[in-house]
Amino acid sequence: MPMSSNEIAIKVESLGKRFEIYDQPGDRLKQFVWPRVRRFVGQKSSQQYFQEFWALKNVTFEVKKGQTFGVVGRNGSGKSTLLQIICGTLNPTSGRIGIHGRVAALLELGSGFNPEFTGRENVYLNASVLGLSNREIDDRFEEIVKFADIGEFINQPTKTYSSGMMVRLAFAVIAHVDADILVVDEALAVGDAVFTQKCMRFIREFQQKGTLLFVSHDMGAIQNICESAMWLSHGKVMQIGDSKTVAEAYLQHTLQEAYGDKAVLASTSDDSLDTCADIAKPSPALLNYESVLTYTDNLSNAKGWSTGSAEIIGIELTKLGEGAGPIFIGGEVVCLKIHALSSIALDQPILGFILKDRLGQDLFGENTLAFTSLKKTEISANQKFFGEFIFRLPMLPNGEYMLMASVANGTQYDNVQHHHLHNVLIINVSSSKVRYGLVGIAFDKVKIGVIDD
Amino acid sequence: MHFQNPHRPQSTSLKSLAQSIIIHRQLIVEMIKREVVGRYKGSAFGLAWSFLNPVLMLTIYTFVFSIVFKARWGDSGSDSKTQFALLVFVGMIVQGLFTEALNRAPGIILGNVNYVKKVVFPLEILPIISLGAALFHATVSLFVMIIGFAVINHYLNWTMIFIPLVFAPLVIFTLGITWVLASLGVFVRDVGQTIGILTTVLMFMSPVFYPVSALPPKFQTWMMFNPLTFIIEQSRSVLIVGQTPDWYGLGIYTLVAVLVLWFGYAWFQKTRKGFADVL
Repeated sequence: MPMSSNEIAIKVESLGKRFEIYDQPGDRLKQFVWPRVRRFVGQKSSQQYFQEFWALKNVTFEVKKGQTFGVVGRNGSGKSTLLQIICGTLNPTSGRIGIHGRVAALLELGSGFNPEFTGRENVYLNASVLGLSNREIDDRFEEIVKFADIGEFINQPTKTYSSGMMVRLAFAVIAHVDADILVVDEALAVGDAVFTQKCMRFIREFQQKGTLLFVSHDMGAIQNICESAMWLSHGKVMQIGDSKTVAEAYLQHTLQEAYGDKAVLASTSDDSLDTCADIAKPSPALLNYESVLTYTDNLSNAKGWSTGSAEIIGIELTKLGEGAGPIFIGGEVVCLKIHALSSIALDQPILGFILKDRLGQDLFGENTLAFTSLKKTEISANQKFFGEFIFRLPMLPNGEYMLMASVANGTQYDNVQHHHLHNVLIINVSSSKVRYGLVGIAFDKVKIGVIDD
Repeated sequence: MHFQNPHRPQSTSLKSLAQSIIIHRQLIVEMIKREVVGRYKGSAFGLAWSFLNPVLMLTIYTFVFSIVFKARWGDSGSDSKTQFALLVFVGMIVQGLFTEALNRAPGIILGNVNYVKKVVFPLEILPIISLGAALFHATVSLFVMIIGFAVINHYLNWTMIFIPLVFAPLVIFTLGITWVLASLGVFVRDVGQTIGILTTVLMFMSPVFYPVSALPPKFQTWMMFNPLTFIIEQSRSVLIVGQTPDWYGLGIYTLVAVLVLWFGYAWFQKTRKGFADVL
């Protein structure tokens, strides 16, 4: 393949993939033998014994070096076929493809693991297939195991793994083979929140130096991670462009498929004029989103960094008022209390938190700085202290959320972070009916009215 | 760095085969170990079975052929009845190596779908691994046979040092066949069924339970077309009779075996593109 530029990592030109579908296994044999025999005796090739199915047709695109490229599309649109062809496991029927650099791929669950082998053996096997020598793997093995974080299971056959553990290990391997191009196929959907966050941190780091090809049904993730994206439908390219445009176009299209064309055309008539007055009145939320929110204290497992001078020693989330209990539904007033201990004197302590979703996006957070700058609380050495945040808990869509907490000392512009923990609390939201956006809010009134002209 | 086409045609030269083996030598050795140890995984005796198995077989042969059947080896055969068991055992080792490799060949790729579809795996080494494991078991059996020979006869033939040279052409030949069958097994699932029958027929059509000389002369020529015949006869002559091998015959056999190896490898490399489509 002629090389036009060093800046391109993946180049795909009018790629096509045809699958031959046979009704009976015998037809495959006939197709294999007869056309060859007929050509040999000089006759023209006869009938086809298969039905053809084009999984990809005339797909052309380029991914620049260092770019993060998303691929979206419905199930069966050819995304996985495309990735398999790029990785070299599946052969294209037509078209050309050029790869510039070492590819590591996470295709579906537990790529290339032998279920009978232990995790350790599979790590060695997979990494050596990806081009690492045994010595290199020895050097990185500890890191891989630490990243996968599956404990004693590393010495068990991978057939005993849960799908989440399988993905953790597979991801840990491809994260440590110094690939130039990383291909990730919906892998993040199976891991739990802690691991997804870890992967996202890795991916964001990887984006600095490598090329990433990312397939997902999560339009939020596509818009968040990718610079540009491609939308595939029935094996054809519908759109290539910046990830936001493509993701929105795809979402609108899927909405129309689900609800018919009117879904988007019907705009909501805004009759807010006569309802404005009501808003001021405090009233209970009209629609209960019924999200059930529970949390787990993850302080002992939380990862982060610390100067050793001050540390977070406890964190609690409690409901204020009646009906206290471990289950939250959103909308109630809660108190988040962060306990810390300092071994040195702090003149301007700051305690803060940020709630992140599973993709690592900051949802909301606050620190004590703005509220306490007028009335300083000094902490002497070896003293325990706390920060308290009282707020109305928003309603959250289903999923796992992580609370990041930190303790620092100083002012807004000049401070030292003493202890910074990523996942002190894991918050689990289930059966939520929040449908749009990252958070739900309590609506006071929603209605449709007729305007008489 | 330049653009690589992940779908460039796979080289079919013997040089590329040698390169692949050198590059993946660690992987090959590790996977053969796995295969050998894995077979006895979960059993109390573990690897000792690979030794116990041939010992028990040799004991049974000795009992059946010398006490039950009171068999004699052809017309010219030796008087010792225990010798019969050793002669059969040598035949069984050679035939067992070939049969094991062939029986497993059609399932090699079918049983490792992950390596075909999900990673870029050096598939060409899978038949080598399978054959390597079979060769390990044959080697253990050979040791048992040699010990048995020493116990029964109180001496050993110095010519047994030639046995690796007698086995080498068979290994080369078998590997070539294994590549073809491994590939065919993917496209035509019936191959797996056929091979089992074929290897059983081959066992009785080989001079395992009788010497070639026991056959009428016109069958003897036909018998030499069986790839096992020559190797079995040569193994017996270096291990039991104490003759040096037929170097001329071994040379010709090796030449043919290398051609078969090349053909098998080329076949595999040409057809492997289609594996992922079918699996």
